[in-house]
Amino acid sequence: MITQLKSGNVYDPHNKISNVKKDIFIQDGKIIDKKNVRSKIDKIINCSDKIIMPGAIDLHTHIGGGKVNIARLMLEEFHNEKEPGYDSSAIIAPSTLKTGLKYIEMGYTTCFEPALLPINARQAHAEMSDIPFIDKGGYALLGNDDYFLDLLRKKSSQSTINDYVAFILSATQSLGIKVVNPGGINAFKFNQRALNVDEKSKYYGITPREIVEKLTRAIYDLGVPHPLHVHCSNLGIPGNFLSTIETIKAANGLPIHLTHIQFQSYGNNGDKGFSSAAVEISNYLNKIENLTCDVGQIMFGQTVTMSGDSMSQYRNHNHAHPNKWMCMDIECDAGCGVVPFKYKDKSFVNALQWAIGLEIFLLAEDPWKVFLTTDHPNGAPFTSYPHLIKLLMDKTFRNDILNQLPKEILNHTILHTLKREYTLNEISIMTRSAPAKILGLKEKGNLSEGSDADITIYDKNKKDIEEMFAHPSLVIKDGKIVVENGKIKEYVWGKTHTVKPDYDKSIEKDLGKFFEKYHTMKLDNYILSDDEMNRLVGSPVYVNDCKYKRKQ
Amino acid sequence: MTSQNNIKNLTCPFCSMHCDDISVTTKNDQYKVGQKNTVCAKKIESYNLNTKSIVMPMIGKKVVKLSEALKKISNLIKGHNETLILNHGVELAGLRSILSFASQRNCIVDHVNSKFLYQNIGIVQRTGYMATSLTETKNRADAIIIFGNEVLTKTPRLIDKVLTPKDSLFSTSKKEIILIGDFSAKIVKNIKGKGKCNITNIKLDLNLIDDFLKLLATDDLKLLKGLKKSELIKIKNILNKSKYIVATWTASDFVKTLNPKKIIAAICKYIVDLNVSSRAACMPISGILADETSSQALTWMTGFPSSIKHIDGAFKHDRNAFNSQKLIDEKNVDVVIHISTINPGKLKINKDITNIVLGHPNTTFTSTPDIFIPIGIPGIDYEGIMFRTDKVVSVALKKIRDIKLPSTQNILDNLA
Repeated sequence: MITQLKSGNVYDPHNKISNVKKDIFIQDGKIIDKKNVRSKIDKIINCSDKIIMPGAIDLHTHIGGGKVNIARLMLEEFHNEKEPGYDSSAIIAPSTLKTGLKYIEMGYTTCFEPALLPINARQAHAEMSDIPFIDKGGYALLGNDDYFLDLLRKKSSQSTINDYVAFILSATQSLGIKVVNPGGINAFKFNQRALNVDEKSKYYGITPREIVEKLTRAIYDLGVPHPLHVHCSNLGIPGNFLSTIETIKAANGLPIHLTHIQFQSYGNNGDKGFSSAAVEISNYLNKIENLTCDVGQIMFGQTVTMSGDSMSQYRNHNHAHPNKWMCMDIECDAGCGVVPFKYKDKSFVNALQWAIGLEIFLLAEDPWKVFLTTDHPNGAPFTSYPHLIKLLMDKTFRNDILNQLPKEILNHTILHTLKREYTLNEISIMTRSAPAKILGLKEKGNLSEGSDADITIYDKNKKDIEEMFAHPSLVIKDGKIVVENGKIKEYVWGKTHTVKPDYDKSIEKDLGKFFEKYHTMKLDNYILSDDEMNRLVGSPVYVNDCKYKRKQ
Repeated sequence: MTSQNNIKNLTCPFCSMHCDDISVTTKNDQYKVGQKNTVCAKKIESYNLNTKSIVMPMIGKKVVKLSEALKKISNLIKGHNETLILNHGVELAGLRSILSFASQRNCIVDHVNSKFLYQNIGIVQRTGYMATSLTETKNRADAIIIFGNEVLTKTPRLIDKVLTPKDSLFSTSKKEIILIGDFSAKIVKNIKGKGKCNITNIKLDLNLIDDFLKLLATDDLKLLKGLKKSELIKIKNILNKSKYIVATWTASDFVKTLNPKKIIAAICKYIVDLNVSSRAACMPISGILADETSSQALTWMTGFPSSIKHIDGAFKHDRNAFNSQKLIDEKNVDVVIHISTINPGKLKINKDITNIVLGHPNTTFTSTPDIFIPIGIPGIDYEGIMFRTDKVVSVALKKIRDIKLPSTQNILDNLA
């Protein structure tokens, strides 16, 4: 069956197409070129008053795994939403069904859980398998696990570390590697309460810098498309922009992706000891070629923070709203913390956090290096994206809100001086083409022949840009119309994206012994096979290519 | 001729430890546990098919074909108003099918151990706490306080796998095991026999846990019934020296106390307070009827861990209105579908309600159910996924024999 999207205004930044009247053809779930349309066109959709973009990609959203489920369980009193067509689960900790519905209705077709604990991978994937519509995947957490830290302590070769990283990617069915508070979560288990970039952990004598160096190198050597995804040291601490800059330097020029950088761009100037360092961070972002980031914008209102960073979540538990929280040490592998939180527009700190996130967006010279996220649900639920897009595209709207915030923040932010308004093409870059590129998803985020027919079609007559992005006219997933004028037409189930670089299988022998001695499960049970993913966990696996054959 | 198979690392489905180092041999639809796992061997083998096992579906006392039993179930459900699906232990795929079926027929879904589950969940929902897992406890804990003996009777291999491990990454000296409550001499001897820990056994009434923890947190040396001054000093010394303390309990053990909620809250508060200057964590042990598997899966699929009903297109939760025990006792449901895949124990049947049982072939009943369909055991007769007591680890269950019994998923998907 061939479908023609006729005469839409197409935004396809990957192919350098911006607002060009064009037809798009779909066959068997894929996009095909007009010249390859060889049979009858079965369906023509008139898109003359429509904007066509590839399906949106969220590269950092907490949608599956132990900490997400703790939040769902903890926040029962918020599971009372009464929107028709959805279950009552709170959007700050939605059920898997509601997650899928809300994403697809906004035209998001691919999403990634950024904190997949290797030991918890089976659960995280099982949860994500129950999210309808979207393709998904995860980044495995490393850098706080005792096996890895012991490799570093023993001065193991980079090649051995590369084998371990490649094994983890394969065994946990992940697309990338993330490090959270490098070494800090592990140090917290030994009762260390802080760990700066060049501070040695008490037990292993390893610094966060060494961890970032080794892991960025491993990702580079293995040819994994997505750079090391880094949640830096000292999250949320005033003055932390300095450790963020040191973390950037730790990559030694190799690709590195800093996540929810808003929480890592704080100065400590002024009488409140809290100020914006967005300019300093943006200077690095604009200057360094291999550096990318997602923002982690905050929005005002109730949410829940969830993170693998048990050190920082424990530190923040006194700010819990409502007053309850949970932290966990996990399997000599990682940790987690769940702390509900309310961002208040009357709060100096929260208002400045809001401004810092927007400053970073607006100071970024290259939209291919900055990605639109709220670190769902840490900064705000993902359903805030249309509002965030309007903040970026409409300076009057932005300044109207800024003017309602505590006046003192104007002494610590330059937001009111920034006149920039994002264009539709730039929004399309940062929500489609750029995340696909940085994740190595060749068949996503573009409308090239052979790419997945994941397409979002907006009504260009809608005056309000927020409304336009909140309610696309049509969403197509794998060539099927799944949403039409806000109504679900058909349920489809996505696949799990992974990457599987080569590694020397002999590392499994050593790991097997480690598991035998120190773990409470066998290595065999830890490894998730493609077959188990497909038959028991519930999602077929799609293996994306590495950039090149392993270098070391 | 029957063949014999040796399976080295079976993942045990029968308790919430889900040990995956069980050696078994299968022959003639039976399995035998290897010598190595003697603590649980008898128990695991007791789940084998026996001469009284029911391997064909039954309507009342009449043996019928599966298709006939399924047709009867469809008719029964159609003709009634309120159907309860009562989970006595099901793996992930079974739970997915339960929710799918319930959403098509607007059923209530509850777990038979919900009341215990809510004791531990309640603390997460009221205050939260600091938690840990089995491997952390094995390697990091230098002192472990066990409140109540059920921890060790329900999960006996906690002793060799976590309390007295052969190897440990960080614990250089013997672990200090503090037993609070009435532990049998056999259990104490069993722990002592491993020789890798020091035991302090305080036969304290579980009702006094709150007072005991208050004494630990202060300089007070007041005496409690069952606690000598020398014992209190000893425990304080142990805990003061410890760098990573773990507290563990089972919620069901506290049911016989005056205020289980208060006891769990006291333990969690004590542990949370220790973290101001040191490290400590809680590790509650869940029930043995796949309670954790049910709680986890239902939470991600609906937002709620148990006691839900599909109404107006979505699952709603009400701990009282959808409390299975209450619904059955007060006859506020017409049909109960019991699903019990891992426990062949005696199932309570309320004769005033229509009872359908999808169960282990050895299941016995207080009275004959209207329909019984024998189903296989996950981890023995079919593959699956279950969650361990510490919530963060889920395990893959294997199929080790082929006795042609259906799974929960097979039956419910057929009925849907």
